[in-house]
Amino acid sequence: MVKSNRSSTVHLALAAFSFITAASAAESAEREFTAQERSHWAFQKVTRPQVPIISDKNVRSPIDAFILAELKARNLELAPAADKNTLLRRASLDLIGLPPSPDELQAFLEDDCGHPFERAVDRLLNSPHYGERWARHWLDLARYAESEGFKADETRPNAWRYRDYVIKSFNNNKPYDRFLKEQLAGDELWPDDTDAIVATAFNRHYPDESNARNLMQRRQEILNDITDTVGSVFTGVTYGCARCHDHKYDPILQSDYYRLQAFFANTAADDNIILASDDFVKQHQEQLAFWEKQTRAIREQMIEIEEPKRAAIIKDYVEKYPEEIQAALAKPESQRTAFECQMVAKANLYLSPSSHQYIASTKAVVASLKPEVKKQWEELNAELRGFDHLHPGLLPVATGITDLSAASPSTYLLSRGLYDAPKDEVKPGFLAILNPSPATVSQPPKRDSTGRRAALASVLTDPRNPLTARVMVNRIWHYHFGRGIVGTPSDFGLKGDRPTHPALLDWLASEFIQNGWSMKHIHRLIMTSDTYRQASAYNEKAGRIDPENRLLWRFPRQRLEGEAIRDSMLAVSGRLNAKMGGPSVFPKLPTGMTTRGGWDLNQDEAERDRRSIYVFVRRNTRYPMFETFDMPDTHESCARRNITTSPIQALTMLNSDLTLGWAQSFAGRVLALAGTDRHAQIEAAYRLAYARVPNPAEEKSIRSFLDKHRAIVAERAATGAKLALPAELTDKMDSTDGAALVDFCHMLMNANEFVYRN
Amino acid sequence: MSSSIAIDPPLSVNFLAGQRVPPVLRPVDRSGQMMKSPHIVPVTSRREFLQRAGCGFGALAFSYLLGMDTRVARAANAKIDPLNPLASRLPHHAPKAKSVIWVFMEGGPSHLDLFDPKPALNAMAGKPMPESFGKVITAMGTASNTLMPSKRTFKQHGQSGIWISDWYPHIAEHADDLAILRSCWADGLNHVGSVCQMNTGDILAGRPSLGAWAAYGLGSANENLPTFVIMTDANEVLGGPKNWSSGFLPAAYQGTQFRSDGTPVFHLSPPESVGDKQQRSKLDFLAMLNKQYAADKLEDSELAARLNSYELAYRMQSAAPEAVDLAKESDVTKKLYGMDEEATRKFGANCLLARRLVERGVRFVQCYSGSGSAWDAHADIEANHSKMCKSSDKPIAGLLADLKARGLLDSTLVVWGGEFGRTPFNEKGNGRDHNPWGFTIWMAGGGVKPGSVTGATDEIGLRAVENRAHVHDIHATILHLLGFDHTNLTYLHNGRDERATINGGEVITKMLA
Repeated sequence: MVKSNRSSTVHLALAAFSFITAASAAESAEREFTAQERSHWAFQKVTRPQVPIISDKNVRSPIDAFILAELKARNLELAPAADKNTLLRRASLDLIGLPPSPDELQAFLEDDCGHPFERAVDRLLNSPHYGERWARHWLDLARYAESEGFKADETRPNAWRYRDYVIKSFNNNKPYDRFLKEQLAGDELWPDDTDAIVATAFNRHYPDESNARNLMQRRQEILNDITDTVGSVFTGVTYGCARCHDHKYDPILQSDYYRLQAFFANTAADDNIILASDDFVKQHQEQLAFWEKQTRAIREQMIEIEEPKRAAIIKDYVEKYPEEIQAALAKPESQRTAFECQMVAKANLYLSPSSHQYIASTKAVVASLKPEVKKQWEELNAELRGFDHLHPGLLPVATGITDLSAASPSTYLLSRGLYDAPKDEVKPGFLAILNPSPATVSQPPKRDSTGRRAALASVLTDPRNPLTARVMVNRIWHYHFGRGIVGTPSDFGLKGDRPTHPALLDWLASEFIQNGWSMKHIHRLIMTSDTYRQASAYNEKAGRIDPENRLLWRFPRQRLEGEAIRDSMLAVSGRLNAKMGGPSVFPKLPTGMTTRGGWDLNQDEAERDRRSIYVFVRRNTRYPMFETFDMPDTHESCARRNITTSPIQALTMLNSDLTLGWAQSFAGRVLALAGTDRHAQIEAAYRLAYARVPNPAEEKSIRSFLDKHRAIVAERAATGAKLALPAELTDKMDSTDGAALVDFCHMLMNANEFVYRN
Repeated sequence: MSSSIAIDPPLSVNFLAGQRVPPVLRPVDRSGQMMKSPHIVPVTSRREFLQRAGCGFGALAFSYLLGMDTRVARAANAKIDPLNPLASRLPHHAPKAKSVIWVFMEGGPSHLDLFDPKPALNAMAGKPMPESFGKVITAMGTASNTLMPSKRTFKQHGQSGIWISDWYPHIAEHADDLAILRSCWADGLNHVGSVCQMNTGDILAGRPSLGAWAAYGLGSANENLPTFVIMTDANEVLGGPKNWSSGFLPAAYQGTQFRSDGTPVFHLSPPESVGDKQQRSKLDFLAMLNKQYAADKLEDSELAARLNSYELAYRMQSAAPEAVDLAKESDVTKKLYGMDEEATRKFGANCLLARRLVERGVRFVQCYSGSGSAWDAHADIEANHSKMCKSSDKPIAGLLADLKARGLLDSTLVVWGGEFGRTPFNEKGNGRDHNPWGFTIWMAGGGVKPGSVTGATDEIGLRAVENRAHVHDIHATILHLLGFDHTNLTYLHNGRDERATINGGEVITKMLA
C-alpha cells in the first residue's frame, strides 16, 4: 500500500480548461445554438440563491424555506411532523436499508437530549450499513455486475472489489469530486493509491462478448457503453441520443458524443492489477521461483503433454478472427499502430495465459486430452500437488481500466454510429454549448497514459461546471424522497423534467461544493428539515391542487426495493449476517432454476444470509427475488427504478421456502423475547417488524385471527401433516400455537406496512 | 385512417406553469415524423405509471374511436383499471391477431435446405464463392471455404406451389397457410446477440423483448395467467432471461418461463407445510392487515394494487396448473402433436401447451425448439438438421392443424424462424456457418397472406436481395398484426421515446392478407 501522489494531482488540475458561458461558447460551435438552448437552466452557472424569507412561520432549515415558499404561494403548508416511531423507521430504512431494532427504537423514544432525531441521523450516517445501503444506489448507476453477459456470462472474479470500494467511499464520506475523479481516472491521478485504481472499474462494468470475432465493432460497442454511462451518470445529459445524429431535443451535437468518447479512446480492460506492496510482490516472486525450481521436472513433463493441445486451441481460435486482426496479432509489438494495439489488447483477454478468460487454460487443455494421456497428466498433477505447501498462492488482484499508452488511436465521428463509417476526426472535448474548444490534455508524469481521462475528471469537478454538483445533489434528493427536484435524474436536458424547485437545487449544489462535496452534509441537511420529517398523511385540499405531491406537502410513501425487503426480513428474523465485504455470496435459488455461468451455492448457511448488496450479480440471471422487485437489468445505467406490483412478487413473498423459513426464525425470536404470553408476543412482533406496538383494535383482530387460525392448523396437524414451527421452539409452547405464530409473523412481513417506508 | 392522435403536452408536464391542463389531442401523420413531439414524461412510481399508462392508452383508444368502432373503444377506455398495469387495453387499430405463438428454432436453421432452394448453389458446389458476392466476416472464419450443395429434395406443395424440402413433410401439408419471407437479414454474427436481436431488436442485451412490448401495449386477457410465456425443450436459451426481459419497461411485462417439471412458475404452490385452508386463512389475515393500514391512506392506489396482487397470485395458484394440465387432452390431440413419439414428445407437448395458453388468453408464447442452440449445424448438417427437423415438424404441423380446427388460427399468429440462417459455403466439409445476411422465416394465421412467398436471396442464398426485411421489419409486422403502429407504441427512457423497432422497421405489407 503506497501513499497517494499529490504532485500529479496538482499538475493535472492545471490542465483543466476553464468554463465559459454558454452564450459565448456557442459562437464558435459547429452550428448555431438557439437562444432557448443557450438559456436552458441546466447549462447556467450555479449561483447561491437567497433563502426565501417566510414571515409567519418558524422555519427550521433553509430547505424548508424553499419548500414553504412554493407551498405558501398556493395556500398550502407542510404536513405536521410524523410520529417518532414512523420517523425513526423512515430514516433507518432510508439511510441503512434496515428497520430500527427494538433497542434503537427505545433509545430514540427515551432520548431527551433536545435533538434526538439529529442524533439518530448521525448514528445512522456513522453506521457501516449506511455505505451498504447507498452503495447499492450507486451500483445501479454504474450498471455494476459480476459477469460478462452475452452467451457464456462468465464470472468476473474481482468485480466485487469495486463494490467494496463504493461502500467504503460512502462510509468514509469521500468527497464526491474525489470519488468521481477516482472512478474516471484514478490510475492516472493517483497511480499509487489502491482505492483509486480499483475505482476505475466503473468503466469496466460494460457487458462483453468473449466470443466476438469482429473486434473493431466490439471495441466501438464498449466505447459507446462507456460514453453513454459517463454522460448520463456524471453530467445528467442523455448523450446516447447523439450517437447517430445531433440530439433531436437537446443542444448536443453528434460531434459532442465522439468528443466525449475520445477521452476513452485508448482505454482497455486491465484485469490483473496487483493489489500488494512491492515488498510483498517481491517476496511472492521469490517463493514462486523456489516452487518453480522444486517442481520444474514435473511441470516440464506436464507442459510437454499440454503444449500441442494448447497450440491447437489457440491456432483454431486465432484463425477465426478477421484477417486484419490476425495480421495485428502477428506483428511485433513495436510495429503495431495504436488502433492495432487496441485490437490486440482485446484479443489478449482470451489469448493471454494470465487472463481469467484465457481460452487455453490448463483446465480447457486437459479437458480435451485423450483418456490415456489425461491419466498420465493427472498422475503428474497429483505429484505436483505434493508441492502445494511451497506455492505462495495467488496475489490479490483487482480489475479496472487503463490506457494502453500515451498515444491514443484517433477518434472519428461515425456516420449513423457505424463503427466502419468514420467521418471527421474529433479531439477530446466537453459539450460544445459549454466549451467548443478541445480539452487541454497533458500526459501524467508517472504513467504511460494519455492523461485524457484525468482531463475529463478535471472538467467535470471544476466547481464552475454547471452540471456535476446539481446532478449529484438531485440524485441524493431523489433517493430520499423517491423523486428528484428534477424528476429525471439522468436527464437534465430540454425534454427532461424541469426542476420543481430550481432555487433549492442551486442552493443545495452550492452547499455541496462549499462543504467539500460532502455527501453526508447533504444527507444531514435534507433529513433534519421539517420537509423530511413531515407525515405522509393525505390532505384533500393539497391533493386537489398538487395531486402528485411535487411540492412536498407531505412525505411521499415509498415501496422498498427488493434488496431492502430481503435485508429487512433477514434483520427482523434475527438471521442477518452483518459481515461486510469480500467476494459475493450465492444464496439458494428456487429449486429447478439453472444458470449459465454457474451459481456456486454457499455451503456455509450463514453466508447465504449476508446483506443483499453482497449477493452475486449475474448479468443474465439476476437473483429472482430482486429481479421480480424491479432490480435494474445491469446492462445500462439506471437512475430511477421502476416500481411495479405483480402476482409473481406475491408468490415469491408468500410461497417460497425462504420467506417461510425467515418467518420461522422471526417467530422464534418473538418467543425468545416475549415467552408464551400472547399480548407480549404480538407487541414484540410489531416492534420488530413495524417499530411500533399495535393499537387495541388491531390487537383484537390479531387475537381473533390467531384463534381461528390455530383451529385450522390443529385440524391439519390432526391429519399428521407437517407444520412450519418457530425456530428453537421450546416445549413451553404447543406446536399448533407455534405454527399459528409463524403464519402471523409471515404475514406481518408480507403486509404493506412492512414493505413501505411511510 | 391517415392520422393518429398524440397527447401534447402530457398531463403532468405543465404543472409548475400553473394549473393542470387537460391534454390536447393533436393529429400526427404516420410517416414516422410524429415521434418528435409527445415526449411522455417518464414515470417515477408505479402510481405515476398507471396514471400515465391510463391517459396514454386512453388517447390511443381515442384514436381508435375516431376511425373505428366507437362502442368498442369507449368500453375499453372505461375498462382501464388504474390498479393493474396488466389491465386489458385496446391497440391502435383493429388487430388481426390476438395472440402470437413463436416457434423459435434456436441455433439457426438452414434456409438453403428448408424453404429457399438454390439450384445455382448446387451447380457451383465445390467452388469457392465468386468474388462478386463480396466479403463477409463469419463467426467461424469460413468465408473462403467452398460452396456446399443442398442434399435435400425440394417439392412444390399445395395450391400455392410453395417450395419446401423433404425435411419438413408435415409442415409442407400446410403450405397454403404459410406466408414465407425469404429475405430476412439481421445484424449479429453470434448466437447470443442474434437471438437477443430476434427477441428485442438489438444484438446488445437490455431492451424489452417483443413479447414485453405486446404485454405493455395490450395488457392481459387473463390476469390469472402470465401474459407472456416462454417454454424450452432442452437447455437454457443462449443469453437466458435477457431474451424475455422487460428491459426498461416495468417488470410486470417481462416474460415468464414455464418449467416443464414441477410447477410451471416458481413458488406457484405453498410450501409443503402450509395447507390450502391455512393459506386462505393467512391471506384473509393479510388482507385485513393491509386494509387496516390503508384505512387512512385510501388515496394510495399502489397499496390497493399490492393487496390485489395477492389475490391474483392466489388465483394463479390454481389457474396455472390447470392451464398446463395435459391430462384433459385426448390421445388423438396428443398424437397430432407427435406426443406419442419420443423424438417429438417434448416439443409437441410445448406446442400443445402453447395452444392451451392462447385459448386462455395468454398474449405471447414462445416455444424454443432445440433450446441452447441445438440447430447450430457447424458440422454434419445432415445429421443435425435431420434430427431437429424431425423433432419440430410434426408438432408445428399439429399446432397449425389444431388451431385451424378450433377456429383459432385466424386470431393467432404463428411465427417460425431462428436467429439467422446458414451459409452457402461449407464449414468442416459438411456443415454450414451462421448467416445473418439472408435467411427465411414464415408466419401463419393472424392476418398474414396464406400461401405467399415474399422476398428473395441472391442466387446462392447468401444475402437477401429482394424485399429485404430486417428484424425490425419483422417486429413492425408482428406489432401491426396485433393492432399497433410500431412507431407509436413508445416508452420514454433516458430521454428517448423508445420503441420496439428502435430507429427502424417497416411493416412488410406484401405478407399481409
